[in-house]
Amino acid sequence: MAEFGGGRGDNAGERAREEFFSEAQEVVDGLSRDLVLLDAVAKRGESDAELVNDIFRAVHTMKGLSGLFGAAMMSALSHELENLLDDLRLGRIELSSEVLDLLFRSVELYGKILASSRGDAPEPAAEVKDLLAALSHVSEQKAGAGGTLVAQYELDPGLLGVLTEYEEHRLRTNIQLGLSLYRMRVTFSLMTIDSALDDLKARTRPHGEILTYLPTGEGGDADTIELEILVASKVSLDALRAAVGGPNVIVAEVERRGGASVPQPDVRQNRATGPAAAGPAVETGEFSAHIPSNPPVGGARSVPPTAFRTTPPSAAAMSLAPPPEEHARVSLAPHGIAAGPDGKDLSLRSVSQTVRVDIRKLDHLMNIVGELAIVRGTISKLTERVRGQLEMRELGTELHRLHRSFDRHLTQMQNGILEVRMVPLGQVFDKLARIVRQAAREHEKQANLVIAGADTEIDKLIVEELSDPLMHMIRNAIDHGIESRDERMRVGKPPVGTIALNAFQKGNHVVIEIEDDGRGMDQKRILAVAVKRRVVSEEEATQLSSKEILNLVFMPGFTTKDEATALSGRGVGMDVVKTNIGKLGGVVDISSELGIGTKMTITLPITLAIISVLMMKIGGQTFCMPLANVEEAIGLDESLVRVVEGREVMTQRGATLPIVRLAKFFRIDDDAVSQRAYVVIGTLGDRRVGFVVDRLLGQQDIVIKALGKSLKHVRGFAGATELGDQRVGLVLDVAALIEEVLHHDDNRLAGVFGARAG
Amino acid sequence: MTMGTITRRHEVLPLDRVNEEITKRTEFLAFKLGDESFAVRISCITEIMKPLPITEVPRASAEVVGVMSVRGRLVTVVDLRPRFGLPARLNARLTRILLVDVGLEEIVGLMVDEVLEVVRLSEAEIEPPSALGGEQPAHILGVGRPGGVVLVLLDLLPLLAV
Repeated sequence: MAEFGGGRGDNAGERAREEFFSEAQEVVDGLSRDLVLLDAVAKRGESDAELVNDIFRAVHTMKGLSGLFGAAMMSALSHELENLLDDLRLGRIELSSEVLDLLFRSVELYGKILASSRGDAPEPAAEVKDLLAALSHVSEQKAGAGGTLVAQYELDPGLLGVLTEYEEHRLRTNIQLGLSLYRMRVTFSLMTIDSALDDLKARTRPHGEILTYLPTGEGGDADTIELEILVASKVSLDALRAAVGGPNVIVAEVERRGGASVPQPDVRQNRATGPAAAGPAVETGEFSAHIPSNPPVGGARSVPPTAFRTTPPSAAAMSLAPPPEEHARVSLAPHGIAAGPDGKDLSLRSVSQTVRVDIRKLDHLMNIVGELAIVRGTISKLTERVRGQLEMRELGTELHRLHRSFDRHLTQMQNGILEVRMVPLGQVFDKLARIVRQAAREHEKQANLVIAGADTEIDKLIVEELSDPLMHMIRNAIDHGIESRDERMRVGKPPVGTIALNAFQKGNHVVIEIEDDGRGMDQKRILAVAVKRRVVSEEEATQLSSKEILNLVFMPGFTTKDEATALSGRGVGMDVVKTNIGKLGGVVDISSELGIGTKMTITLPITLAIISVLMMKIGGQTFCMPLANVEEAIGLDESLVRVVEGREVMTQRGATLPIVRLAKFFRIDDDAVSQRAYVVIGTLGDRRVGFVVDRLLGQQDIVIKALGKSLKHVRGFAGATELGDQRVGLVLDVAALIEEVLHHDDNRLAGVFGARAG
Repeated sequence: MTMGTITRRHEVLPLDRVNEEITKRTEFLAFKLGDESFAVRISCITEIMKPLPITEVPRASAEVVGVMSVRGRLVTVVDLRPRFGLPARLNARLTRILLVDVGLEEIVGLMVDEVLEVVRLSEAEIEPPSALGGEQPAHILGVGRPGGVVLVLLDLLPLLAV
């Protein structure tokens, strides 16, 4: 355990830096999520201005943050990225897949830069340089497109001048998308305009986009004000009316000019409900008259209600374009959306109500709780002793009551700390969505990632350790599982493959399933490769069950791809995945059906720190076995033990159970031969082994600590814990033991596994 | 390996008699394993403690005595005597455990039969490993002779990095 607080935390600058890292990490995570959403939107051929704005704001925040902390690389990247996003936001460039790629690459680079600033990785200087070049290249390409689009509008140049670039872009985009324009006249009370306007926006949002709003200068008295609101929407007038209508709201459709100069690639909106058109000239006027320099996004809050009084009546919405100066007077909020002061504030202010805590501090707290638990045990014994003495009975009763209260609070504290350590799996799932997209593109395969149960919570440490194995499994699913588009169509599957990531809690465990609808695992091929790579011999191969065959992919050195691919052929095999999951106390199971798909199931404990164990004596030494792996414990009846093929077995509930005498297995001198030994049945998935122990001491919750690095190569122990008498008890790694026992003694596979068991 | 032994403790040069002015000196902690004397750089020692109850770890290598808990922290205790082919001492009264940190991401407990004292050696006073004759393993830094007594100076990193 690292030092707690101490030197590290005392330095305010250092602490601020740490905060910067975690805040930056949060922003990057958010960016990553938004990009995945944006990708989905783009795939449907739509656009989401609000989402692009969110991303722009996030990058802007990053720029501010990195500027504050002198992170030059991040600052440079943010700057270029901000420019790109600004162009995107303002429609100067299109959301092409090239641009999307750049955005995804940027997010990845942010991650790398952050990792390198923490000293976890080398500085990705070359990559940043490449990306910066690519970003500015895209920015250069924009020039032409924007100008020609504007030229297609026969808008009065004087009017165009007062539109913010963003407003102009949104108006253009909405018309291009073939949406209908509506204007609403709404009367607000000055007292409640802020909340009422927000409310109206919220009701409008599902149906369309508010482009701009402006006081009409009509219909209002001293206490009310009438706003003209321009809305772009794909729903009919009636639908919009139904959604936002009310006594103070008048909704009408703005007729579109039929001229060829307005690009109408896709005219499909419902015109039938619109009122009769006014003349073209008037409409042009309408567009312009409704467009003050107020930002449509988030603008309402920044304009105090009284400000509307400065609006001259001549700015009435229905009139022809008023002279630009008047617009200038209306414009109270600064140009540009959140890029303005809002954006800057964002970088200095803390956004959320949460406190970020270094996981090591929680570990430290957990250790203290563990030690308190030991104190609790001692107090309990003392209490019993005091209670046993007649003359101290009263004191004993009081002590007993205190002890119970202490016990209850300690349990609450333990649970509280555990809860704080829990984070949703979504944290790692979000990263995976990015991987799927990237991997699918590299392989020219199409796959959707369907995520369920992202809110399932698990210990933070486990989440961290999960991301690599999960990433590998997802890559495998795309690389080996999902077929190419053509192949899928040929066999009658939907052209786009599906990878389902499903997480849920099951008792004290979290289960994560990774399922693809790809080609499934070909057992014959696995066997052939296993034999070729000498993972199994030919005789062994003929005797394997289908489950054993599937499990061969977890053997070191196994791969079915002949040449290494950029994706999964990086020398990291499924054996590493299995080992890593195993280190977390988890297991991986595979099921697969040829032509239908493959499902990998990971079962993990919810937390690593505190586990319930069965305490036992083996040859005079105390050991702990995690209850999660214990099926049951029964008395050993020597008369039921038989020897089959050199292995001791007993029949239990009609099934054959291999047994292992742990004292012998561990070569612990067993001077006091136990008269009444026990068989503790340990399980790993559906494999069971009976462990013979000398004595059972009962059940206990313990704080498990990892053994030092110098003991890493010693198999069979998951860690150790303090027993309360200054002694340390070893915690058995049941999964490793079962594997070792079954493989070691298994004659059929002895050649394969013998070396590992050694 | 031929080594002299310290037979009388007072022969080791006490700290206060060392002439500080000569050159830069390195501090070593001298200790005994069996009847032979060794020393390690004091900078890697975080604590010297009396043995706590030690739990044996089955199947660990011969030099691992076991694990113990030092104020809530697990420490692997190592005994170098089997490595050096030295017999165990019968009198455990003077046995100490040196907690050493050689940058291996863990604190290792080094079991010694007796802690002698701190000696300061200038570079000139450290003889190369070849002074012990022939090729010497990487963990032998050299030989020091404070007060005429032979101390084998050990580098713990190659010894503990398994």
